[in-house]
Amino acid sequence: MPQTPREIVTRCLSFKKPERVPRDLWVLPYAQTHFPEDVGNIERDFPNDIIKPDYEYPASPIVRGERYAVGYCTDAWGCEFKNIQAGIIGEVETPIIRDISDWKSVRPPYEQIPDNTAGPYENINRFCANTDKFVIANCCPRPWERYQFLRGSENALIDMMMPDYGARDLIKAIHDFYLKEFEFWVKTDVDAIWFMDDWGAQNQLLINPEIWRELFKPLYKDYCDLAAANDKFIMMHTDGHVTEIFADLIEVGLDAINSQLFCMDISELAKIGKGKITFWGEIDRQHILPSADVQKGRDAVQKVASHLYDPSGGVIAQFEFGLGMKPEMAVAVLEEWGRIK
Amino acid sequence: MDLIQRLALCVERGKVDRNFPYPPDMKDSDGASELTTLLLETGESANSILKRGLMVGMDTVGAKFANGQAFIPELLVAAKAMNAAMVHLKPYFESGEAKHRGSIVIGTIQGDLHDIGKNIVGMVLKGAGWNVIDLGSNVSADKFITALRDNNCKLAALSALLTTTMLNMESVVGEIKGAITGSMVFIGGAPLSNEFSDKIDADGYFPDPHTFSKYLSTLNT
Ligand code: B12
Repeated sequence: MPQTPREIVTRCLSFKKPERVPRDLWVLPYAQTHFPEDVGNIERDFPNDIIKPDYEYPASPIVRGERYAVGYCTDAWGCEFKNIQAGIIGEVETPIIRDISDWKSVRPPYEQIPDNTAGPYENINRFCANTDKFVIANCCPRPWERYQFLRGSENALIDMMMPDYGARDLIKAIHDFYLKEFEFWVKTDVDAIWFMDDWGAQNQLLINPEIWRELFKPLYKDYCDLAAANDKFIMMHTDGHVTEIFADLIEVGLDAINSQLFCMDISELAKIGKGKITFWGEIDRQHILPSADVQKGRDAVQKVASHLYDPSGGVIAQFEFGLGMKPEMAVAVLEEWGRIK
Repeated sequence: MDLIQRLALCVERGKVDRNFPYPPDMKDSDGASELTTLLLETGESANSILKRGLMVGMDTVGAKFANGQAFIPELLVAAKAMNAAMVHLKPYFESGEAKHRGSIVIGTIQGDLHDIGKNIVGMVLKGAGWNVIDLGSNVSADKFITALRDNNCKLAALSALLTTTMLNMESVVGEIKGAITGSMVFIGGAPLSNEFSDKIDADGYFPDPHTFSKYLSTLNT
């Protein structure tokens, strides 16, 4: 019997020989609006193995505007974003915590996490039961990025140098909320939970790895422990050059990492992580995917596979159909992944 | 260590003022702000404070950052310390007693909101004695041209972090050069390269602010 998508992803993450490389294409609204027909065809020809349940949190009274539309929008934490291009995200212009000593004014949106879980659980579990795909929670904790949204990027970076003046407390307030959010999700029938935080610039980490280990690694360990205690897989996305903390991310117990493989030395990553963690993509969004030459996309797949692929598992064919990219490239990359055996 | 060397160290380490909690090993000692006041009181010229104090401190931390020995937050606190000192020097620049090396207009290209890198470039240049006119992010060719004209300035530095927005650089570089005779336009940002700079007829790509600053100091402005 052929393996179901759920089985394929599960086997991939557990190194138990999936029958093919699992697929996971992320489509930005940008691609959906520019190439609706092509996106439809791609989704038909190369269906994703990983999906999210359709459960949405209850509407928040403070949310305003559209995240992916041009203009201003406010999220459930009260952070206001300015966006200048439809289909991608914007940036906070005026952070709500101007002075770190005001960290107590943060209002995590606890009201979004249902007290009465019966209805939501029934929906989510029904969704999981009715699909043979691998279901990943429809939530995405991001303690560092949330910190930046609340404080502004530069203040946030400076705060990391002197965590005892409120930063540690703010991180904890954010983390407590995200733990609660994860507690909600790990009791459902989803297969995995996930979180994200971009930790790298192009050539190095955004902050000193020692500070990262002190302030953020423990949070990620809490998430991983919670997932393990509830028999869920746990996956993370992090952009930029993160080689220096890759081993730490494996150590805390992640099952998969989605990172910018191409701004790092992939052979070095293979030495650190091959066989220990699943490489959840990606293909270079900076130079390869926006290129008009689809052969570059095919070569990139071969490069990733030659370093990281093993028939026992550990690689997911993930990439983003986003800014500046043509549908032909998405098709070429997916086709090439189909050839990897 | 004399006062001016202490000032350089405060900038390098990011000791803003006496109350500033960082770095912990400099707790309760004077920071860049107090030392600058003291130096001015003892008759040190604003120019000398800038050159022998602030520029030395920023140069050291900038070099460490370029070598991967320091991270973004270290540069940001150093710049904070430098700014605290600059507040006291401002009147001397306004009166003409102290002089900047020259002026440069800087901004992130139209369509792009990534500004952390651009801000760091601005800070390092300021720390190297330049008058930096920062136009923020999502900046059009018109805004660059107006700022260059208004400030009687010939140097522009453009940042782009997206492969889509870097393409806007070609027209912006062309428009600036067309509008302002003798202008030089430099570019930087994660996806760029020397080849790209040549292709769009910019006057140079620089991978980090320190290298850029070293290059600018060789220009006859
Ligand atoms: C932080 C970040 C963000 C933040 C930006 C916050 C801010 N205020 O700047 C936020 C969350 C807002 C963001 C948004 C987006 N981002 Co972003 N982001 C990053 C990330 C993780 C780090 C960038 C950074 O700040 N680095 C730290 C600084 C210090 O480094 P730097 O900018 O490179 O600058 C240094 C040098 O390049 C140089 N330099 C820079 N400018 C200049 C100029 C001159 C003249 C000189 C000499 C030197 C110089 O000096 C600096 C210091 O050394 C990068 C990952 C990466 N690999 O870089 C992605 C990245 C740039 N983002 C990316 C994307 C796709 C986006 C979004 C489209 C995402 C989305 N889903 O919608 C949006 C676009 C928003 C917009 N309209 O601009 C992609 C770009 C891919 C591409 N096609 O080019 C990247 C590469 C991530 C990836 N996975 O590929 N992002």
